[in-house]
Amino acid sequence: MDGANFVATRNTRALVLLGQLYIDGGIQRFNRTFLTACDRLGVGCDVLSLADAEESRTNWSAPQSATVRVFGYKKRRFALAICAAILSGRYDVIVVGHINLMILVASFLSLHKRRATRVLMIAHGVDVWTGLERRRFAFALAKSDLILCVSQYTRDRIRAQRPELSADRFTLFPNALSESWVDRFAGVRPAQSFSTTLPRRYLLSVTRLARGDRYKGLTTVLEALAMLPDTSIHYVIAGRGEDQAFLEGIVKRHQLGDRVHFLGGVSDEELADLYSHCAAFVLPSGKEGFGIVFLEAMYFGAAVIAAREKGAVDVVQHEQTGLLVPYGDTVALSAAITRLLRDGSLRARLREKGRESVLEGGAFCFGAYVERLGNLLAVSQPVRD
Amino acid sequence: MCGIVGVFSSDGRLPDPMQFARCLDKLKNRGPDDGGVWADSLVKLGHRRLSVVELSGAGHQPMLSHDGRYVIVFNGEIYNHLELRKDLDPEGGWRGQSDTETLVEAFRHWGSECLGRLNGMFAFAIWDRKARRLFLARDRMGVKPLYYSNCDGVFAFGSRPGAVVPLAGPTAHELNPEALRLYLELGYIPAPLSYYRNVNKLRPGHFAWVDASGVRTSRYWDFRHIPPDGALLHRAEGEIIEELDALIRDSVRLRLMSDVPFGAFLSGGVDSAMIVAAMKASGVSAPKTFTISFDEKEFDEGPQAAAIAAHIGVEHRAERLSVEELLSLLPMYVEQFDEPFADSSSFPTMAVARLARSHVTMALTGDAADELFGGYHYYPLANQLARIARLPGSLKRLLKSALGTLPSHRAKQLAGALALDGSVETYNYLRSFGKDLAPLVTADVLAETHSSRELYEEFAASFAMDLDSAETGMRLDMGFMLPNGYLHKVDVATMAFSLEARCPFTDYRLVEWSMRLPAAYKLRAGHTKYLLKKALTRYLPAEQVYREKRGFSVPTAQWLRGPLRSWAADLLHDESILSKLPLERQRLRQLFDLHVSGARDAKPLLWAVLMLLCFVARHDRSIDLPSLPTRKAA
Repeated sequence: MDGANFVATRNTRALVLLGQLYIDGGIQRFNRTFLTACDRLGVGCDVLSLADAEESRTNWSAPQSATVRVFGYKKRRFALAICAAILSGRYDVIVVGHINLMILVASFLSLHKRRATRVLMIAHGVDVWTGLERRRFAFALAKSDLILCVSQYTRDRIRAQRPELSADRFTLFPNALSESWVDRFAGVRPAQSFSTTLPRRYLLSVTRLARGDRYKGLTTVLEALAMLPDTSIHYVIAGRGEDQAFLEGIVKRHQLGDRVHFLGGVSDEELADLYSHCAAFVLPSGKEGFGIVFLEAMYFGAAVIAAREKGAVDVVQHEQTGLLVPYGDTVALSAAITRLLRDGSLRARLREKGRESVLEGGAFCFGAYVERLGNLLAVSQPVRD
Repeated sequence: MCGIVGVFSSDGRLPDPMQFARCLDKLKNRGPDDGGVWADSLVKLGHRRLSVVELSGAGHQPMLSHDGRYVIVFNGEIYNHLELRKDLDPEGGWRGQSDTETLVEAFRHWGSECLGRLNGMFAFAIWDRKARRLFLARDRMGVKPLYYSNCDGVFAFGSRPGAVVPLAGPTAHELNPEALRLYLELGYIPAPLSYYRNVNKLRPGHFAWVDASGVRTSRYWDFRHIPPDGALLHRAEGEIIEELDALIRDSVRLRLMSDVPFGAFLSGGVDSAMIVAAMKASGVSAPKTFTISFDEKEFDEGPQAAAIAAHIGVEHRAERLSVEELLSLLPMYVEQFDEPFADSSSFPTMAVARLARSHVTMALTGDAADELFGGYHYYPLANQLARIARLPGSLKRLLKSALGTLPSHRAKQLAGALALDGSVETYNYLRSFGKDLAPLVTADVLAETHSSRELYEEFAASFAMDLDSAETGMRLDMGFMLPNGYLHKVDVATMAFSLEARCPFTDYRLVEWSMRLPAAYKLRAGHTKYLLKKALTRYLPAEQVYREKRGFSVPTAQWLRGPLRSWAADLLHDESILSKLPLERQRLRQLFDLHVSGARDAKPLLWAVLMLLCFVARHDRSIDLPSLPTRKAA
């Protein structure tokens, strides 16, 4: 990492506005990685989190450089707190974690005429892929100095909807595995305790099983599983949600009962074990803003299969760090799984390259993330309309 | 077009010749010209042939590959088989011009990968004598049927359930409760289910390997994931129309491969007109076309068909029927459909097939254009409902209560649709036979089976991202209604008269192209089939293309209140039939009363029930069906 950035960002004070921080989910994990990186850069953060409650703080310990206020979804109090923080003029930078919060921030910034605070907005995925034609979003985006996009697709979607925003208002800011998460498992291959209860060769998916998340592609995996020539392959799904009954119906119709295992929620240690010992991590999702689970799988040396859609194509490099198939294409997915299972050298290559990309020096390692953030906080200047 | 049947048993338990011959006889309508049987110690294959291509003995089946390793029975046509021959070089040279010979050599050369090279309609089985395993495959869109059963170590397959069930062991007659429930929701039984618990349909676009270890099915083609190509919106419309027209012409050209006289069905609509125009453009100087015309003006499309025929310049034949005369086809309908089937448009399809068969052996049809290019009225309705669903909750509630107060039952149904969640659920509601009616199957059946909505949701989970409600509906129709309903109807109705039907719109190149076509080219400004109609204006005056379609629907609702009323009432009170079905008798009779009283048009569901009861009666010889009315209705 460039030491100059440490110097440049030290003593920087940031106001960080988030939807949620403590529960388990892709965006929440991004937020935690972000605060950890700020801590490494010496940036002090005052965090206001809308949807978290006091009791959820036990899920994660924020770094000492960050103070977190939670609002238990009390929107009015949250808005007042944002207003007060902005008008205080104490911050060098405001980081906004969601487009809807940006509308609020933009309104309060209008009251604060002589501000010198830079505003960075983080654009994740589905929340900005559509609907930005509305005037309130034009207003909000005009007030942000820099839009941090987690994937190229996200950037392209915003630009398609708001062509008046110049290219230099955007920067790619992909996710990474957080340092604390990596530290927990560094240097040791997770013990095969949990996965010994499972069949020897299994495909793995890790996701919430929500009706609204059917784009994750589990149905496609189930159909592909039914088509595999090798019927000794099992499928393990880690995650819980109300859609399990729907998926169980498919399992029954395809007579896959003894080959599909719904594990429900699992601990991080169990997850590490599952990633480490699966034949392949398969999540042919159609709507990933980024897809942190792919990085986790790569970290534990799992060969990855994803869909050639949206943010996932930034994370998984076809034939390098994983295989990409068209979203929803059961024939292609079945062929890719078969190919991966039969070709040991392909599997080894994907595992190696995938792991390289998340280990120190790789594109998605925490160090690279901190460096990217350091550069942004140090050099990004207001470019206001 | 033919019929196939076969049995495989790894321990050699094969049917005796008489039993097998009886099953083969069930396929005589499908193949009146020739028949054959091939057997070894593990397998028995049978074939009935309708000769359309290669009329000589060189097309006889079952047929052996040139090296003698493979034996094929094949139903259908491979339209590009001469093209495939360029990459194949069987020892001793080709024996004749049959596509069956090409197919078996293609399989020998490429194995199951050959399926990706085939352009055609097909259901076939190939026995590998060396590896002692059987390969079965069905065409991409499900034009040709293929049923199979795997019971007690005996695998049987055939072109219709009636040929498979006798070979499938003593438990094969058992009713599949899930199929029953789905039939009453959809009006047909979707693959892979059949009416019988131990008999399955091979799904469209699938193949199966069968050996001593069992049956393994696999998909080889799928249209669901193909995304619409937004770039087409930036191209000149004229270019896209030319592309579509060229594809249709080529699809029709391929389907003119025939050694027998051929023609086309011609209604007064866009789809068949496009096919006939393409026939003419492909060099057929005076295509023969066939139409059924009706005495009743409100149903008759005969004059429109005649006008189209005159403009294109074809040799047109029309048969004028009274609507009630269609009733005379009911016994044949009941006889030919080997599973319960509730589409009453089978009657005019049978009538036009009968007319066409008296002049030709093969006919082209316009089926599948509605699903590919957005022809059904409920597609725009689905989009309208989706727009309403995005309104604020308070406005939606207001609209719902306003609709609910209207006296029309349709308005009430629309109010019901406003409460639905998502395009799949809306589609399910719009297409459902039952809608808000109470389920007719018993509570036990409901508890142990899946609904059509669940099947739709599973199927739609692999659709390309970000489709609108209408496109979702089109793809669901292509996966369910088209193969299991309309194409099944065309196959059975034409085979009943030994007529081969070919459907150019099911050409996989057209299907894939239509998937890439953005929705704006399918529905626009209230017009359905926007682009297809534009393409047709190249051949027909706009007033013929855009005239309001009268449409023909068999007046079963009126029949059930008139000439069929007592027949239906007798069926609905026949305990010898009802005792065989897990149905709520009281609800059946209430449904009938509701309909005949005129309080509600319950025709789709009521007709489905009656066809089910007829089916059960026919398949249990101890039950006599109530006599059909013999005189014309007043």
